[in-house]
Amino acid sequence: MTAETQQMIEHITRLIRKPGVAIDENTPLVSSGLIDSMALVDLLMKLQDVTQLRISPGKVQPKDMDTVALMFATAQRVGKPKR
Amino acid sequence: MIATEFRTLLDALNAAPAQREFVTSWVDEDDCETVTFGEFRRRARRQAVLLRNHGVSQGDRVVILMPQGTAAMTVFVGAMLLGAVPAILAYPNFKVEPAKYRSGLAGVTANLSARLVIVDEQFPDELLGHVTFGEAKLVRAADSADDGDNLALGDVGAEPNDLAFLQHSAGTTGLQKGVALTHAAVLRQLQSLIQVLHIDGSADRVYSWLPLYHDMGLIACFMLPLVSHMPVVMQSPLDWVMRPESMLQLISEYRCTLAWLPNFTFQFVPRRTPRENWERYDLSSARALINCSEPVRAASMEEFYQSFGGNGLRREALQSSYAMAENVFAVTQSGINGKRAPAHIWADGQRFRSEHIVVEVGAGTAGALSFLSSGQLLPGNEVRIVSDRDAILNGGEVGEILIKSDCLFQGYYNRSDLTAQALVDGWYYSGDLGFVLGDELYVVGRKKDLLIIGGENIYPQDIEEIAASHPAIHDGRAVALGLYNSDLGTEEIVLVAEVERHELLHNPAAIENELRSHIVAGSGVAVKTIFLKPPKWIVKSTAGKPARSTTREKLLREHPELQAGSAAS
Repeated sequence: MTAETQQMIEHITRLIRKPGVAIDENTPLVSSGLIDSMALVDLLMKLQDVTQLRISPGKVQPKDMDTVALMFATAQRVGKPKR
Repeated sequence: MIATEFRTLLDALNAAPAQREFVTSWVDEDDCETVTFGEFRRRARRQAVLLRNHGVSQGDRVVILMPQGTAAMTVFVGAMLLGAVPAILAYPNFKVEPAKYRSGLAGVTANLSARLVIVDEQFPDELLGHVTFGEAKLVRAADSADDGDNLALGDVGAEPNDLAFLQHSAGTTGLQKGVALTHAAVLRQLQSLIQVLHIDGSADRVYSWLPLYHDMGLIACFMLPLVSHMPVVMQSPLDWVMRPESMLQLISEYRCTLAWLPNFTFQFVPRRTPRENWERYDLSSARALINCSEPVRAASMEEFYQSFGGNGLRREALQSSYAMAENVFAVTQSGINGKRAPAHIWADGQRFRSEHIVVEVGAGTAGALSFLSSGQLLPGNEVRIVSDRDAILNGGEVGEILIKSDCLFQGYYNRSDLTAQALVDGWYYSGDLGFVLGDELYVVGRKKDLLIIGGENIYPQDIEEIAASHPAIHDGRAVALGLYNSDLGTEEIVLVAEVERHELLHNPAAIENELRSHIVAGSGVAVKTIFLKPPKWIVKSTAGKPARSTTREKLLREHPELQAGSAAS
């Protein structure tokens, strides 16, 4: 697991604030109801910080954000270098 | 320019100066396009020909599922050029729950008996999979090589009383409610707005992040500019929410004068914009930033003013309005008829809650509630406040707001059942609670405990139904409530549910997790907090249904920590 992935997982764990819920790269987040839509916006912003990429939300689809692994794949696919 | 000089919206568009800027679609600093009225007309004609080639003709319903921007807008006008009736529905974003989206889409399309569903090239296939559109044909939007200037369209001869388009009221169960509007009704509404806001298309410019499938986005930020020949700078809701500061940037750079915004924006923007960036922006061009929520909250407006008053923002630029799709758009607007700002009053909290009346007290009195007016009636609009028994109430008495106007809708498309409930003797039963003092209308909340979360309307019944279907939850014993979070400027959803048997409370986490995922899958809504309670905890009404307000009071008594962030309602 990369440091970036670890950073993202820690961020999500803090966001969920549910003791005893452990998440990894492949834990479904949205489809399981663990995080809500406002939190997804926060996650996309965090993803931009962690990857140092600009990610236009218009290019991101629901399936692209369901797990941490998918988030990083999405950032690589549609991200542009930060200005 | 008088909007009522035009017989139809198309006549109004045709009269616009060709070289004047119309729509600026802003994604980010490297992705931004401005089209003039002339270019917009050309593209709309091109889209009309494409739609005609797909068999669209006069009176056909056309469902548009395209991202916010010029392409969706030109398809919309293109359909109107054929005399067809377009409806823009929510474009899916990464937050959407696929199953819910598909079922909503299928329901609306079937209800409209749409001829065509038009999506963009990038529309995700998985959101269309297995959706049955009835008779409708699904097409991907494509540009045509034809020159829009030379296309023979023929004159469909739209008449003022022909349907111009359908706008859908927001919400989950509300998805079925398509509000059918004629050219004449829309023009009458826009004429009133142009008059009271003194709109000058050659000097004003609108800023918008509001979605085009919502009345604020469609009417105030698309139809109003189209008819008053006024430029508009728009970004998508998601692009804005990712960078709330971009609102300040665009108003500054484009010298925007008008914007319509939901209440939470007035808190969200200052809180999400780093303080060191504030001085970059100049908001002196703003004539009216109009808070269009029900209710409008004085604290949110004040926070915005305190944050950006030093950036040229004038206090009288902060205005309010009460608006809904069923009335095309606005019923009231503040700062008109010689007044400068929305009236702000304080009322005795105890008497408000128990007697449903407003007794004014001094500003800041302990236990007092603050109300900000939504403004005064637009020309051609009347309101009446009625009790639960339909008795007409006096000034200062709180009841349901009824509306009658010269631009009121005729009914929900294909839903005579819903129409009959909402329209009685020419009065529209808004479902909103409010009161009138002097000539100002104050809106205090939703009659049916509609939850407004981050600007979205959430119907608690939808959540309760899903919760109660869980085997561990006693049937019919779940109550969803909205508790106002003053930090976020919006409500959050709290669910209270009774378990079937006491012993189920030994392992609440598993039930809570299942409830959460069922609710998000079934309604797209994430519940903030779930309280599992023993059998018979929820207070029932005499009819045997959960009594929402009494249950709410009981919950707040048992969990006073919830009250800290919650306003009286």
